[in-house]
Amino acid sequence: MATEVTGAAVPAESNTLRAEEERLRGMLEDRLGIRTRVASLPGTRALLVSPISAGSPKGLIVDRSASAAERISLYVHLAAHIALKHDVPLITIVESRGDVTSGDENKHRDADRLARAMWWGTSARADGRELWPGRRSRVLRPLLASRPGRLGLRVLLLVLRRLYYAARARRFLENTVVARSLRDALCVTAVVCAAPELAALRR
Amino acid sequence: MRLQDRERVSKAIRTLRGDRSLDSLVDRIFEITEGSVSLDRATLQRVATGRTRVTRAIDSPEDCVRLYFALMIIGCEEELTLAEIVGEGRTMLAGFVGEPLATLVFADLRRTLPKLADLRTLREYLEEGLRVWLPK
Repeated sequence: MATEVTGAAVPAESNTLRAEEERLRGMLEDRLGIRTRVASLPGTRALLVSPISAGSPKGLIVDRSASAAERISLYVHLAAHIALKHDVPLITIVESRGDVTSGDENKHRDADRLARAMWWGTSARADGRELWPGRRSRVLRPLLASRPGRLGLRVLLLVLRRLYYAARARRFLENTVVARSLRDALCVTAVVCAAPELAALRR
Repeated sequence: MRLQDRERVSKAIRTLRGDRSLDSLVDRIFEITEGSVSLDRATLQRVATGRTRVTRAIDSPEDCVRLYFALMIIGCEEELTLAEIVGEGRTMLAGFVGEPLATLVFADLRRTLPKLADLRTLREYLEEGLRVWLPK
């Protein structure tokens, strides 16, 4: 059998992202009864297998090559599928790397739309708000809406992180609002860069 | 359980086991199903050679579904062709639980198969399919 998910799947990733991924994976298990493991799935990002009875745990397999940011985006997308009741017993949800098959196109599009609302905490659906802790960031949403904005912010945050460690600011700033906000912004930006479908639509 | 077409089930099991001996097959099924399907060598021998319609160790439809997944995983390990694994797996299941339940369980594999890139991905799907059928 394939290995369980470990935080050390991609060693170069930031601890913040890995910790957040671990927290959200635990939340998936507690709130949605989804057990996650990683395996090599060429051409596929993830498979969510639903059992015959609604109360039994579901099985999620995530491709080994997915980064922590990509895994987080998958979790919110799958939570959206569940909020939309796509997790029908004995029907597997396949997240492909290529084009989705025509029969599933609408389901994935609806899930993307709801995932975006759940991610930013703007979902009008009560079940969507219950399933996922949204991030009500009025600053990041517009900044991450465009590709140049996302890339620019990502670079800026990575530079700030480097300065934070180089200047040994950790001694003074750890556990302050500034450090928490920077960590959170870095995490949100990395996830939206990995899954641009989570970016807020530009008006 | 009472087999509906013992000849066909026997052929399916013989195909899916590939080059494995019956002893090794019994051990592997026990291992894959985490001990939840404990076929003994004698029963499996009788089923695989088409000499019995009654499988005492397989008492419930859930046991049959676990055996279905386990045998197809073994088919993947034996590097059989996709058509052999899927076709013989379905035949084996229908022989054990009857066409209606087999169709219901098999429908997911039929829908999912075109989206799976290769045998390795199929095997992961089968392993997860088996996991959700394991007793709590």
